[in-house]
Amino acid sequence: MSKQERRKAIIVFAVIAAVFLAASILTGGGSGKEETVQEVMRDAVLHDLNRVNLFGLEVNPGLLSGVIVSTGLIIFALICRIFVIPKFKMVPGRFQLVLETVVGLFSNMAKGNSKINGFLGAYIFAAGTYIFTGTLFELLGVQAVTVSGHSISLPAPLSDINGAIMMGCLSYLVIMSGGIAGNGVKGIGKTLKEYSLPISLSFRLFGALLSGALVTELVYYYSSLSYVLPVLVGVLFTLLHALIQAYVLTMLTSLFYGQVSDNTPKPPKEKRKKHKKQQTETAEKTIDTADAQTAA
Amino acid sequence: MTGVPLNIDLQQIMLHLFNFTILFGALYILLYKPVKNFMEGREQYYADMDSKAEDALRSAEDSRKVYDDKLKAFDEEVRSEKAKLRKDLDAERDRRVAEAKADAEKILSDARTEAGRQKDEIISSAQKEITGMVTDAMEKLTLEQSASDAFDQFLDAAETEDKQQ
Repeated sequence: MSKQERRKAIIVFAVIAAVFLAASILTGGGSGKEETVQEVMRDAVLHDLNRVNLFGLEVNPGLLSGVIVSTGLIIFALICRIFVIPKFKMVPGRFQLVLETVVGLFSNMAKGNSKINGFLGAYIFAAGTYIFTGTLFELLGVQAVTVSGHSISLPAPLSDINGAIMMGCLSYLVIMSGGIAGNGVKGIGKTLKEYSLPISLSFRLFGALLSGALVTELVYYYSSLSYVLPVLVGVLFTLLHALIQAYVLTMLTSLFYGQVSDNTPKPPKEKRKKHKKQQTETAEKTIDTADAQTAA
Repeated sequence: MTGVPLNIDLQQIMLHLFNFTILFGALYILLYKPVKNFMEGREQYYADMDSKAEDALRSAEDSRKVYDDKLKAFDEEVRSEKAKLRKDLDAERDRRVAEAKADAEKILSDARTEAGRQKDEIISSAQKEITGMVTDAMEKLTLEQSASDAFDQFLDAAETEDKQQ
């Protein structure tokens, strides 16, 4: 492309952007706002106003997002299984490398934390993928119609408290299954010791994703904030959350799974204390780092 | 509002759970397991290749060791053969030197004997020759004396005849 052509292209692009900007300002005028910002924020937390219809059931929009994300992921997996995986080569291409890196990441995380890691690897792979893509789904702004006839932008599946509770509790059950697989009935006791885990896992996920959703809602509510800023907000509060929360939940699940499924004989008392202290410090460090990243 | 804090709904939790379970199963069957199997297969392939290479290396090392041992044994054999040959050679040389010495002594003694014999022969022939020469000289002397006498007699006879005529 010559210099002149490039200049022309830039001018055309700037004109198109200016037209869209003018159109967005001219078509604004506040006529589309049917809820106050308080109502929008409240609904983002409670999901009691804008409910959507899913196969005859009135559900939170997060569940519909979850179904859409799952369907999308399953279709993607099916396409990969049919068209990509049979053509895998010993020296991987770019896409194969991406798939292998993602699978290897979760598989190695499971291997690194527990001796019994077959199921754990598969679970954290699914959970990590679901959290990551589910959170990024928010960026697409897929529209849905509520039962009351309003149009809403579908949120991340896990910004719905029910979705977050499901993920937290399921992770806890998976941890318990690891305890049973590694230590039998004793494993259940070991897992029950960490009784606060389902709540902390659920609410960490919910809080982190909700905060992102709230900031995004707030930014999009005021049209004056809707220029340029969403690019930063979208990246900061969605992409980073997607990465961090997927990493934190999978890391914590595999860490606790490894702890409760560990059946090596107990070291002597002094060493045991030291060992336990080290384990607790590691877990606390992971949680602190994740929280600090989320807060940042 | 149902009165439950944060609008928590057990039915929706179950629906989320159902949704995620299907996703988990599908991702496991369609993506995680095949990709992991492929990765493990490749790892196994390279591990096999590595172990085969190691085996080959080990067998080569073993062969080298065997050949080294053989070479060492051969060297030892060559060394002992050489020593034996040298010993034989020394013995042969000594024998031949001794033989040569004996031959030389024999030749020398034969030569001495022959020289002695030839000397004796020469001496005896010289003696014979001297004797012959002496005899001849004597005979010559004797003949010379008788011939002159005869000649004188002839001349006298001739003179006598002339005188008679």
